[in-house]
Amino acid sequence: MELTLNEKRLLVALGSAGTADAVVLAEKMETRREAVVQYANLASERGLVDVDKHVSRRYVPTEEGRAYIGKGLPERQVLESFEETIPMRDLQAHPLAKIAIGWMRKKGWITLRDGVVTKTGKTAPGPDEAAFARLAERGEIPDGEGVADLVKRGLVEEEETVAHTVSITPRGRELLSRGLDLREEVGTLTREQILSGEWKDLPLRRYDVTKLPRRAYPGKVHPYQRLIDEMRCVLFDMGFEEMAGGIVQSSFWNFDALFQPQDHPAREMQDTFFLGERWPLPAGYERVRDMHEHGGETSSTGWGGTWSAAKAEQCVLRTHTTGLSIQHLATHPNPPVKAFCIGRVYRREAIDPTHLAEFEQLEGIVMDEGVNFRNLLGFLKEFYAKMGFEKVRFRPGYFPYTEPSVEPEVYVDGLGWVELGGAGIFRQEVTAPFGIEHPVLAWGLGISRVAMLRLGLRDLRQLYRSDVEWIRETPTYGGRR
Amino acid sequence: MAVITLPYRYLERLTGTDRQTIIDRVPMIGADIERIEEDHVDVEFFPDRPDLYSPEGVARAMRGFLGIEEGLPVYTVRPSGITFSVDPGLADIRPCLGSAVIRNVNLDEESIESLMSLQESLHWAVGRGRGKVAIGVHDLDTVTPPFRYIASPRDRSFVPLDFEREMTMEEILTEHPKGRDYAHLVENFDKFPLIVDAEDRVLSFPPIINGELTRVTTGTKNILLDCTGTDRKAVMTAVNIICTALAEAGATIEAVTVDGEEMPALAPVERVVSVEECASLLGLSLTGEEMARHLRRMRFGAEPDGDSRVRVLVPCYRSDILHDWDIFEDVAIAYGFENFDAALPATSTVAWEHPITTIARGVRSVMTGLGYLEMMPFTLSNDRVLYANMQREPTPGTLRLLHPISEEQTVVRTDLLPLLMEMLLANKHRELPQRLFAVGDVVENCVTSQMAAAVSIHPAADFSEAYAAADVLCRELSLTYEVAESTDPAFLDGRRGDIIVDGRKVGVFGEIHPAVLTAFDLEHPVAALALDLTAVPGYPVPPGTP
Repeated sequence: MELTLNEKRLLVALGSAGTADAVVLAEKMETRREAVVQYANLASERGLVDVDKHVSRRYVPTEEGRAYIGKGLPERQVLESFEETIPMRDLQAHPLAKIAIGWMRKKGWITLRDGVVTKTGKTAPGPDEAAFARLAERGEIPDGEGVADLVKRGLVEEEETVAHTVSITPRGRELLSRGLDLREEVGTLTREQILSGEWKDLPLRRYDVTKLPRRAYPGKVHPYQRLIDEMRCVLFDMGFEEMAGGIVQSSFWNFDALFQPQDHPAREMQDTFFLGERWPLPAGYERVRDMHEHGGETSSTGWGGTWSAAKAEQCVLRTHTTGLSIQHLATHPNPPVKAFCIGRVYRREAIDPTHLAEFEQLEGIVMDEGVNFRNLLGFLKEFYAKMGFEKVRFRPGYFPYTEPSVEPEVYVDGLGWVELGGAGIFRQEVTAPFGIEHPVLAWGLGISRVAMLRLGLRDLRQLYRSDVEWIRETPTYGGRR
Repeated sequence: MAVITLPYRYLERLTGTDRQTIIDRVPMIGADIERIEEDHVDVEFFPDRPDLYSPEGVARAMRGFLGIEEGLPVYTVRPSGITFSVDPGLADIRPCLGSAVIRNVNLDEESIESLMSLQESLHWAVGRGRGKVAIGVHDLDTVTPPFRYIASPRDRSFVPLDFEREMTMEEILTEHPKGRDYAHLVENFDKFPLIVDAEDRVLSFPPIINGELTRVTTGTKNILLDCTGTDRKAVMTAVNIICTALAEAGATIEAVTVDGEEMPALAPVERVVSVEECASLLGLSLTGEEMARHLRRMRFGAEPDGDSRVRVLVPCYRSDILHDWDIFEDVAIAYGFENFDAALPATSTVAWEHPITTIARGVRSVMTGLGYLEMMPFTLSNDRVLYANMQREPTPGTLRLLHPISEEQTVVRTDLLPLLMEMLLANKHRELPQRLFAVGDVVENCVTSQMAAAVSIHPAADFSEAYAAADVLCRELSLTYEVAESTDPAFLDGRRGDIIVDGRKVGVFGEIHPAVLTAFDLEHPVAALALDLTAVPGYPVPPGTP
């Protein structure tokens, strides 16, 4: 048990008498009574002293009361200012006459006849005067006869006093008998103390480890960004290179290059954010046009109809990052290519807890000689397992730019099978116009879905309009899944 | 999306198996089960498979998939002797017509409902909202062939479906609910498409509404189908899907002669595909016979053609088969996605981080080290937040959405600082100090680049804090910079600096102007900075363009 210096000093002060009033102890310890009580309470928690708290009521003079101390109540002072009789007019000249005359008459000390005041002779002091005399003597009086009258007249007032009697316990006495170190405690260790070796003898103040510390908030990467970085690490581990690109894309790269027919519903203004801006078509766009119109030189029939260059020039906020994948492949047509991108994509959707007009999409591609559908499933299994989704299954899916297409589902405790992303092999209609000769495995997923599952969010907006408190309270390391 | 209602009893009768088998297996041909009800199941099929938009079509596919009936379904078409003519005046309005006669239909309320639902799904998936294709189904016995598809004056009148009085076609466009929905498809033409019989009675005003005269009821025995549109291939797809679905239900199909051409043509299309190409794409070892067997389960006609090829007959309703790989996907589905042995490929490559994210990672490291919390605000914002509240003029080259969905999101952000100010407002009730930063995309003139910004709000936030943060961020990003007095109206005069690199202004810092604080409803001083990351050495050129 470690005592504070003040507790030790208290025990020493108590030492000889064993019991003392806090006021007395305060004098001895050269401090305030309140401080003594505080030390005593601490020591009492440790069983070293007992504190006896005694509440008493007493009466002390008010400001008016103090004015009469030593002189007597106003009626006594006025009564003694004249002999047996006095004309009322003369009596009224006395400075206290206003208060006194009423009380003298009330107490039956005087009679008034024909403008002359005459003493009755029954002027012995009553209990109020006796109490007031005791007050004058001692400065304060306990409750008793006559005090209530003085309170009523506003001459005295009640004051509650709490007395603390501190007594040392046998345990305290034992401790005291062993001797106490009464040197001043040190809060901060100084350079001088360290260099001089003085620290060896310093009584360093001890801290109470049960008290909570001040709450500190570190700077932090956003929880969602941490999740994104985790995914990037998984893909780096698997040997992928990272892609980045503009969030504004021409319809050509966002749709046409991906063999999305020009009359596809996704290309209407209900689903996609169109911009007034246009962007010139890249060299060789004719091969994409031919693919749409008749399937180019592949086994495809194409969509038929006439392909519009003007429609392809219209800029949109990218609806996926797949446009970046095909641009990357167009500039890196030689195998092998393994690339990914995590970027914001846009859908013209009204905002609610589970739908946003913008969110992050992860997209990965693998292009190599001889890669196949089994490999695509292998990649998906590996990636999801590394993201903590051990159970994965596959169903046929549909995406305009892949064939075959697959919808992966992962098993989530409490939710069951959850659809997470989409995948497939790029159609030849997509790859052939850019001279890509080998199969391209591609997959994508909306990672805000993963964020909801992993961060336990109910409202996607929390990711983008974040509560500072939420970020402060979300641990940097979430524990092993 | 096309959600198809499949009544169990009808489906079980057509398929020849029990409902549970169907519910268990239908997702594996490519579908999402939406709802399982007591007497039916609602299933969503993909937009490339409109042939599955009816119970008959689903039963046909499931019979194959479950091995009950395999191979190409054969539909015979007998002549009806009925002719149809197309007015050349429709060439620029709605030129294509497909037609067929379907006899001996056996309709009850449920099957009429199902037929209407197939029509609506086809309007959506194939017809692109009736523009490309619109479908009309008529009680053949109420009218007299031959039929004529004509360009009619707009004031021609008839009784439209669901009405009791004659209306002109112009009235229909403004008064009939369907007229109002689809008026945009025809209202710009001088003449309107119209289908009439030998006695000049109106069957239909495509693509808007049929006449009440030919309404299909439970008493209807024989149907005349009309599909009109702007794309011949799509029109024929719709005809084929409807005819074969009704044939699956027991009806007989008869041909109509449209300007000398017999239709429908329900014959399959032949494709000869490579076994090796399929096996290689799917990663399976397959013989031609195995491949053909898989395809027959998907209702293709398929026979090996030598060792290396398979001769495939594609049913007339499979409009999704554009390319050989579309056939290979069906091989994969028949093989069963659950049976594939998933395997990582041997492809060995080296990871590489994009410089943009390397730089962003640097910003995160510095700013979190300074005690800042990262925010990831929306990239869509509005003029009030980006410019008016900041006392700034709109940046030239700001992109505006043509059809925004809310007033809050009308432009693409050109700066991150205003969005962080908005974040401070959203977190006004949280403990101070708050230090927030963001790093991310901004767009000007269609070009995407990256920027970093930071704000610090607390009673003692001042110029020195902003300067110190800006300085350390620049130094840590190896950016050699100079500082000049700024004139940015978002900041207090005398307490603002521009970051200059190679004579170009690339950033700003200082104390936010009190009027800006007030505009964002903030009550404490804010020290802020913004930095254009294209100035950082090693920033990739060119930045993101469309």
